[in-house]
Amino acid sequence: MTAPFEVGQALSLGLAIVFGFFFGLSLERGGLGDPHKLTGVFYLRDFTVPKVMFTAILVAGAGLYLLSDLRLLDISRVWIIPTFFWPQLAGGALFGIGFVVSGYCPGTAAAGFATGRLDALVAMLGIGAGSLLFAVLFPVIEGFYVSSDRGKETLQMFFGVNHWVVLIALAIMAGGMFFAMEWLEKRTAH
Amino acid sequence: MNNSRFWSPYVAGTLLGLTLLATFYVAGRGLGASGAMTLVTAESTYSLFPKFISRLKYFSQYVDVIAPLINWNLFLLIGLLLGSLSGALVTRNFKIRFDKGEGMSVRTRLITAFSGGMLIGFAARLARGCTSGVALTGGAQLAVAGWIFVIAMFATGFLTVAFFRRIWS
Repeated sequence: MTAPFEVGQALSLGLAIVFGFFFGLSLERGGLGDPHKLTGVFYLRDFTVPKVMFTAILVAGAGLYLLSDLRLLDISRVWIIPTFFWPQLAGGALFGIGFVVSGYCPGTAAAGFATGRLDALVAMLGIGAGSLLFAVLFPVIEGFYVSSDRGKETLQMFFGVNHWVVLIALAIMAGGMFFAMEWLEKRTAH
Repeated sequence: MNNSRFWSPYVAGTLLGLTLLATFYVAGRGLGASGAMTLVTAESTYSLFPKFISRLKYFSQYVDVIAPLINWNLFLLIGLLLGSLSGALVTRNFKIRFDKGEGMSVRTRLITAFSGGMLIGFAARLARGCTSGVALTGGAQLAVAGWIFVIAMFATGFLTVAFFRRIWS
């Protein structure tokens, strides 16, 4: 039997709690429950967000494709995030504004709330209100929402290269970024 | 700035990456946060205004199901809250507070937290996920979706700060 596994409902939900626990623990211990640290990257003074994020992406990405290449994981049964070019570009763009204004994103707002931050609870209520607004406006937005459907497109498909070429290129870019971020943080430290 | 209270971001990122890898391996799916918040919104508004909410086509995926709260993403969010709470309690980083930018009034912070949250909530539905479900999960899968989202998010984040520098400085 290869991964991923078909498990019963109770076990599946129990595992979700365990995975969620480590998700929340790494966010909080990385300092990502703190809106000052979360927005620091946009002021070029605290690069915790991209450091945590790109480290996690590289670790999980390399692991995913390594397990797949070793035939320990059937990647065709992993739910790959589908690409809808324009809605995701517009969504990402709106998200960036909301991120700076509120100081959180959904996962980190939950982490912030769990560290006792009541402003994070207000942000979570706002996130709920935004979802409701989306549902109310859905009849108007639906055409755009389902437009530019590119299916389960990956960067290696887009560029027509092997996945390790993409991963190594990303690792080199991330390494360069980490180096520049460490340098900038040291320079601006007071 | 006292950064030593926290782990190195590379250590936290590695644990986060291994957690994400474990969800890929065991469950064949990634992490997420905004979906569960949408589910809770749909369920709670449905209990208050059943007629109005049941007419919303987008919410039917959350409302018109048997046992909607038996949901992977919701349990993931419960775990997230427990994990963050444990981390904060063990390291004495837990403190009831109202966090805001320096010199910002409580009223302004209420407005920025809620309106910024609304933008995020709306944007996450439009993009089919947030920083966790699309940027992190999609990014690691090398899905085009994840990288479009990451680039767009950082671009407007920097632009927003250029125009409204004083939000967090």
